Amino acid sequence: MTLSLPVKRQLWAILGFAVAVLALSAMLKSDYFELVLTQVLLWAMLSVAWNILCGYSGYFSFGHAAFWGLGAYTVALGMLHFDLSPWITIPAGAVVGGLAGALIGFPTFRLRGHYFALAMLAYPLATLYVFQWLGYQEIPLPMKREAPILYMQFANPRAYVVLALGLLVFSLLISLRIENSRFGMSLFAIKQNEPAAEAAGINTWRWKMLALMLSGALAAMAGGLYAVVLLVVTPEAVFGMLVSAQALILTLFGGVGTLWGPVIGAMVLVPLAEGLNAELGNVLPGIQGVVYGVAIIAIILSAPEGVYWRVRDRLGVWLSRRQTEPTVPPGVGSIPAVPREQRAPVGDDLLILRDVGISFGGVRALDGVDLTVPEGGLYGIIGPNGAGKTTLFNVINGFLAPQRGTISFAGEPLIGLRPSQVCRRGIGRTFQVVRAFPRMTVLENVIVGAFVGAPDDAAARRMAAVALDQVGLSARANAVAGGLTTRELRLMELARALAPQPRLMLLDETLAGLGHDDLDGILGAIRQLRADGVTVLIIEHTMQAMVQLVDHFDVLDHGRLIASGAPEAVVRDHAVIEAYLGKKWAQQVTEAAK
Amino acid sequence: MSKTLTRRAITKGLALSAGALALPAIGRAQAKSVKIAMIAPMSGPWARQGQLLRMGAEILAEDVNSGGGIKALGGAKLEIIYADAGDSTEKAKNAAQRLLSDEPDLAGGTGCWLSSFTLAVTEVTERAQLPWITLSYSDAITNRGFKFVFQTSPTADRQAAQTLPTALTLAQDATGKRPTTIGIIMDNTASPVSFAKPLRDGGLDKLGLKLVVDQIFTPPLSDATPLIEKVRSAKPDFLLLLTSAMPDCKLVLEKLDEFKLSHGKVPLVGNGAPFGSPELLTTIGPELLEGLLFSVANWPMKGQEEFIERFKKKTGEPFLTQDALCGYGEPAILVQAIETAGSADRLKVGEAIRGMNLTTGRAAQCFPGPIKFDEKGRRVDVPMIFAQWQKGVPLTVYPTELALAKPFWPSV
Repeated sequence: MTLSLPVKRQLWAILGFAVAVLALSAMLKSDYFELVLTQVLLWAMLSVAWNILCGYSGYFSFGHAAFWGLGAYTVALGMLHFDLSPWITIPAGAVVGGLAGALIGFPTFRLRGHYFALAMLAYPLATLYVFQWLGYQEIPLPMKREAPILYMQFANPRAYVVLALGLLVFSLLISLRIENSRFGMSLFAIKQNEPAAEAAGINTWRWKMLALMLSGALAAMAGGLYAVVLLVVTPEAVFGMLVSAQALILTLFGGVGTLWGPVIGAMVLVPLAEGLNAELGNVLPGIQGVVYGVAIIAIILSAPEGVYWRVRDRLGVWLSRRQTEPTVPPGVGSIPAVPREQRAPVGDDLLILRDVGISFGGVRALDGVDLTVPEGGLYGIIGPNGAGKTTLFNVINGFLAPQRGTISFAGEPLIGLRPSQVCRRGIGRTFQVVRAFPRMTVLENVIVGAFVGAPDDAAARRMAAVALDQVGLSARANAVAGGLTTRELRLMELARALAPQPRLMLLDETLAGLGHDDLDGILGAIRQLRADGVTVLIIEHTMQAMVQLVDHFDVLDHGRLIASGAPEAVVRDHAVIEAYLGKKWAQQVTEAAK
Repeated sequence: MSKTLTRRAITKGLALSAGALALPAIGRAQAKSVKIAMIAPMSGPWARQGQLLRMGAEILAEDVNSGGGIKALGGAKLEIIYADAGDSTEKAKNAAQRLLSDEPDLAGGTGCWLSSFTLAVTEVTERAQLPWITLSYSDAITNRGFKFVFQTSPTADRQAAQTLPTALTLAQDATGKRPTTIGIIMDNTASPVSFAKPLRDGGLDKLGLKLVVDQIFTPPLSDATPLIEKVRSAKPDFLLLLTSAMPDCKLVLEKLDEFKLSHGKVPLVGNGAPFGSPELLTTIGPELLEGLLFSVANWPMKGQEEFIERFKKKTGEPFLTQDALCGYGEPAILVQAIETAGSADRLKVGEAIRGMNLTTGRAAQCFPGPIKFDEKGRRVDVPMIFAQWQKGVPLTVYPTELALAKPFWPSV
């Protein structure tokens, strides 16, 4: 992933950071600065945890205080009731946090976007009241004079800096591991376009859930150490809005979805806030909050996604400008147009739809559709706007569940499967409006698609390279997808669907919005697909290009299949002409024919 | 306090002129100032309480310094270093750690009003062996075996144990009849919960009280109707009101009025200084408050009349409350300890506080009962104070020897 520097350099960076923090701690002369440094590290860890879910997957959480607080209370109550040392209860807190993540994720991942964020807000608020109700309003950690080290009660505050640093480095390593694996790329794909990720075979539910559990576990560990440092736990202090907001603000400031963003945020903002408290708190009480707020607003306005991304975007534009020069894609033009006569032999029926129907309210989007696509076929579905073409694809690949009818693929029923499972069975698809992952490179976009068919990440990379070569986009492999032309985007999406080597491709208006020259390139790529033995089902409403391309037409109108057969026959069909051009025109055509 | 304070009014002028004329150079030259800390919430939701504490402390510093400074140290000036505890335990703890780093020669400190803040701050000060005096009354503060933390208020447990028996006595004295039923309306925050726990665990039975209304809510209260309906149907002899936020208190009182249960139809007893705050008066008005009784750790008493007037004049506040009174009295304890120890060394100051038994003087007159701490750091022989709203002012009515007015038990 080019999101970050190569892994090795990142590991060195983490080591350098740890050494720098230790050196700083050794130089600090006062316990106060050691305490603030400890807090910087703990808040950084919370933010790193937050970032694992929210930064990478784009599911914003306003409720990470729930995990932080559970970790803190695990430590406090463990010590109060069972005399357990934080050496045990901090890891135990991680388990509690992870379980809480699972419990929270199960209902909450039904929601997306703002609704998810708001629902997350409820958890710490609810737990806050639960802990009040349980009578845990103020839990001081008992002072252990006889065995201070056993209970993590060090006289030297530097010990807490070391502990907090250890936990932070641990979180950074996990974060780095995620970034450079299928896990991170899947989350990143989810963030940019969840339906596309799902359609590309990524089990979005599973990855989101894992991210939330991991994030919860790390946040709980940080909260546990926070309790040890603060020595008093109150529901307001650990479940309060301030905690959730802190994680959010620090990461947004530093850079969402990056390894170092949360750390940058904590290193700048926590000391800033504390410095303001120290300097202004007793002179003009409250003004510190105002100054802090203004500083955050200023940063957010100038760098909405954080300091890190601002720099990277500037850099990215510059890099891609340098790259665009040599990009006459080789190969695309050279793919020979396959003459009609050489159509591949058509085999057994691969995809069979029987009596498929779905309505939205009173509108019948699909009404008793029967469709059969044989293995190796290149079939086209045409029909006017609103005929139900895209709905048909959504039903096949699992975005929508039909209300009646059956769909089978290679003899197996498809209905009830998630899109990622449908993809796993060998059905790839593209979208009418290209669903790219704009922040990833072309190659990464395709790798995401390859995961489903690849045993490991290296294989995915190879398969992606092959797919890019197939569509003739290899030269642009390292360009950021956000900067591609429409034609390149279409080809990239095609490669993404192609990478896991599907048996059936669903192409949704792949030709739309392309100029005449671009059209030829794409048509060539599609012909090459079927030459490679892939069955293709393509939606179009521009008939001209289709007549030359496909060997079979199915015509949809108002959700019904009105005609089916060889292209030449279908274009002369009375019902088809009526559907496209209206009754009057159809009559004229009929009369003219007579 | 009357002796010192009234006398000061006269002696102040004398002292100033004498000081200016007689011992100028020597006094100034020797006077290295003595520093004590006050950490209190001066921003955030508890800012008002912190500001009141500070008002009291500022008056004390003026009094001490205009009276010739700390005599045992050659007239050293008293300097109070203020720090904002903000709105979270983390900020409070940071403030303590910062003060200890920035001011290595602190002789002692006081604060932080909210008990969770005090708990966090004293974890720092105890390790630095800095004597710390607080009005926070959570039992946990002095249950940790700390040596340098001193609590001026009766702990929550003792407040709970003393409040109802005293209320019953007041009722019996005033009406000749001892109440037998009680209602409780409370929120579920820290102090009401710890206050009510011993009552429910057999405390009420011992007092011969039957609990006929028992309502707990989570603040903020949106509508008090269901609570007050219960009160109307059960008609307890009196109602124990344990609300910690003023808007909730206002809702309950207004709803009682709406149900025609105010004006003593159901006598009200509360606990804690917020029941005597000026804000309560401005939002709710004297009418609805009339007769409301509340127990409190400290409240302006007989003998402080001059100070009360001086405070009102200086600050523009309608009356003196617990916070400003303790803001004055707690640093005064430290000053007294420094005088006794003859040193601003924290260990010696701590020693002096532990050996203290004050019944007269500037510090003693700010608190009910003697200033004498047991081995836990709790004051011994502290009577609970009762104050009652009478014509728009909450006045101490019990114990009788400290009372500024006679109590009445509101009745039908």
